[in-house]
Amino acid sequence: MSSIKEKFNQISPSEFFYRNRDLAGFSTPTRSLYTAVREFVENGLDACDQKEILPEIHLSIKAVEPDKPDPKPYILTVKDNGPGIETKHVPLAFGTVLYGSKFGLKQARGMFGLGATMAILYGQITTNKPVSVKSSTDGKISDEFELLLDIQKNKPVILKHKTKEVSKRGLSVSICLEGDYSKAGAKIRDYVYQTSLITPYASITFEDPKDEKFHYSRIIKTMPKPPTIIRPHPYGIDVETIRRMMVESQFEIPVMDDAMMEKVRKDLGLSKKNLSFTAIMAKAKTKWKNLSRQVRVVVALMSFLKMDFEKLNKIRIEDVDITNKKLTYWDFGDSQSKTVDMDSESPYYRQLANTTQGETLTAFLTKRFQRVGPTTAIKFAEFAGFKPEKRLGTMTNQELVKLSDALQKFGDFMTPDPSCLAPLGEEPLEKGMKKFFNPDFLAVIQRSASAYSGFPFIVEMGIAYGGEINTRGIKVYRYANRIPLLYDEGSDVVLKVVNDIDWSRYKAKGDPPLVIVSHICSTRIPYKTVGKENVADRQEIERELKLSIQFLARKLSIFMNKRGQAEAAKKRANLYAKYIPLIAQFCTELSGKKKEPNYKKILEEEMPATNE
Amino acid sequence: MSKETQNKINAAKKKATEKQKNILEMLKSHGAKIYDDLDSGKFPKFSIPSRSVGNIVYDKKLRQYILGNSVAVRSSRNTSQLRSFTQLMWLAFFANKLTNEKKSSTLRDIYYSSQAFAIEFEDQSESDNIIVDLEAVTSKPREDFHIFPEERSSIFGDLTIEYTIPGYEGKTMNLSNHPDGYSIGPSLTTAELVDTSAEIVIAIEKGGLFTRFVEEQIDKKFKSIIINTGGQAPRSTRTLLKRLHDEMKLPVIVLTDGDVYGEHIAMVIKSGSANAAHLRELTVPDAKWVGVWATDIEKYKLPTIPMTESDIKRCYDLQKDPRYQDGIWKKELDVFLRLKRKAELEAFSKYGLTNITDKYLPQKLELAKSL
Repeated sequence: MSSIKEKFNQISPSEFFYRNRDLAGFSTPTRSLYTAVREFVENGLDACDQKEILPEIHLSIKAVEPDKPDPKPYILTVKDNGPGIETKHVPLAFGTVLYGSKFGLKQARGMFGLGATMAILYGQITTNKPVSVKSSTDGKISDEFELLLDIQKNKPVILKHKTKEVSKRGLSVSICLEGDYSKAGAKIRDYVYQTSLITPYASITFEDPKDEKFHYSRIIKTMPKPPTIIRPHPYGIDVETIRRMMVESQFEIPVMDDAMMEKVRKDLGLSKKNLSFTAIMAKAKTKWKNLSRQVRVVVALMSFLKMDFEKLNKIRIEDVDITNKKLTYWDFGDSQSKTVDMDSESPYYRQLANTTQGETLTAFLTKRFQRVGPTTAIKFAEFAGFKPEKRLGTMTNQELVKLSDALQKFGDFMTPDPSCLAPLGEEPLEKGMKKFFNPDFLAVIQRSASAYSGFPFIVEMGIAYGGEINTRGIKVYRYANRIPLLYDEGSDVVLKVVNDIDWSRYKAKGDPPLVIVSHICSTRIPYKTVGKENVADRQEIERELKLSIQFLARKLSIFMNKRGQAEAAKKRANLYAKYIPLIAQFCTELSGKKKEPNYKKILEEEMPATNE
Repeated sequence: MSKETQNKINAAKKKATEKQKNILEMLKSHGAKIYDDLDSGKFPKFSIPSRSVGNIVYDKKLRQYILGNSVAVRSSRNTSQLRSFTQLMWLAFFANKLTNEKKSSTLRDIYYSSQAFAIEFEDQSESDNIIVDLEAVTSKPREDFHIFPEERSSIFGDLTIEYTIPGYEGKTMNLSNHPDGYSIGPSLTTAELVDTSAEIVIAIEKGGLFTRFVEEQIDKKFKSIIINTGGQAPRSTRTLLKRLHDEMKLPVIVLTDGDVYGEHIAMVIKSGSANAAHLRELTVPDAKWVGVWATDIEKYKLPTIPMTESDIKRCYDLQKDPRYQDGIWKKELDVFLRLKRKAELEAFSKYGLTNITDKYLPQKLELAKSL
């Protein structure tokens, strides 16, 4: 057994990702360049978001030898004004795979900062050039590193490190990688454009290999509320996850070594005096509330062993058998195993049971999951066929499966807490779209939070019509967690919903100049493929999308109606302006009058108001 | 010229001037009303008898189709009517000019004249329609406004007329001077009828027979005025027929092909058409259709041709017409339907070119007296 385990360990995470780089989007020079851009830009935006700094992102792509044909090495540099990374973390953050701070359940563009390291890895394999990182956390001193990644050991190799005085805080990462800009250029420009649209609080500049600059200035100065990290929802929890959560809720019986004893003495405030067993227990009782779990366990054991610290030093706990209420220990002095009974009525017994068998089902549910109260927990236990006080640690494998199944099926859990989500918000979305499209009509909606399989999500959508939109037909911009989705448009659920709408019913006939911006925020976007470019048609998401689009389409139809009326009024006024003077002329001659009648009054009355 | 004739001419002149004055007055009052509306900030409007099928009714007393009581309002506020409103105003303005200057114009002229203004008609049928509107509003035929259809109808016989059109005023003419006949155009329609020795008017459907009748001197033999209606008689011809009947006290007989269309040509002369239900003064209720009847086909053993489907359909349509419910109209229609065959006027040529004038016509003239 152990030899197999060792073999597995021999493949470092770096090596694993190196071997499977296709999965992470680094298959071809074209795709790799695009993916690298995305990873670094998204990391920069995430870093700023987390610290609530209005982002300023500068992206540049330069060919090492401009005259060479593609694919060829490019230097990709992304600079942000984020918090920077502390000097001691820089080598690990950029020279190790699976190092990052983006853990926990909340919405972020990327997870774990994995992609950026992949990009660095890819650059290193294709060009054998180090990554250059410049980081300043205080806006005064910048640490400048040149790093290589030791793939086999998954460790950074620092080639250069120096410090420099700077005037701006932030991080700048520069890698050299094999890419094909002639093919990836359009997508990258599209990506930058669309990212700017969904990040109106950011200023983004892109300098391309031909020295062309694309600048998207900041449209709004307020940032959306940052998401909070929260506990998971019971839906969508599988057996494996329950196991991992159980481990968190269960504790080993601490080893009673000198350090441990010292800690217990200190926490009980007994550092100087050597007290009797009874005195210790009395002291523990008064201090119980403030004691740590470890210390409580030791005190509980002592209560059954009826020993002071000196005696305790001479034994080793062998087994705590909660079921049979027996406590077994090895006595070094007598060199034999001894057993004492535990009184199941004692509060200390419960403490030990808690430790070794984990929490009761109700405690597990209320403490480990979001939005589960004691009443719901008890109801659930009944539903699942467990006693509420059943301890997780005593569950067999089959029982765990039963528990997991019941968690999916129980109907009375509250909907997931959306506070872990960070939608853009109606106002920023509206302002962004207004700036980008300057349309004749614009409407946005943010639906209230909903959930699929225990993952909360929010749909935001905007619709713009006419004005500077010169596309014929409907253009859909899809976003998931503020990332533009550019590939695999056809199979996406958003497209499906848009195409299912009969636009002529909403007075948008033919090929209306229409832009739809759809943003789905979730702690987990149900992507269809590993490429993460299209969202699967989960029923709950489809419904929210449909309701959003119908709401917006209705508003559009009201606008189109009004506009139709205004146009008709204008047309009418034009007709009057053309014909009434003629009627005036003819009737003047017919009636033999000298002067034409004053028909201006009619025309003025019929002129449509200009500020419509 | 006898004094009596001179008096008659003067009276006629006065009458013509009077008529013109009336027309101009009427147009002026219509114009003034619209002028006042505009001047007081109102969208001008007027009402017009509805010419929809539902509003065309047969008046037994008048013995013609007339428009019922239903009235449509044309408003310049209504943008779907604004264009035709303006067109009608232009037409009134144009007709006013024509009448004033005593100039005449054709339907085609109207269509083109409009293009000089911003009031273009899309096609002639649109302009023709507006002309009918003007007729309906004023209850006057377009000829009163000096608007005439293309000429295809002609007249021959001893009839003296005096022109009233500019440049020819007072000039007289006898309509038996030219053997091809005279076209019935604006100058003739507006002319005063001065004198005639004729005792009857024979309206004949076809140009060929008209020529034959002139050659055979039917005008002299039967003291008649011969008129070629050229198929369905134009309005101007019908007006002239009426005037010959009313002013010269001449009976009118109609001779057509022996088919359902011929029968109806006679009927329109007698009692008008649904198309012109908005107009009176176009009918000769005493006109008589003398042939060719369906019964004549059998009686005279005329060579026939079979009726077409549309002929038969026309028979059935006319059976529903209130005017075909009795007398020879009903009888002949029924026989046509029974025979399902028809005969042209020329069919008499089988028995010799002059058979129709020598034999048939005298018999029919004799018969007409008893009709």
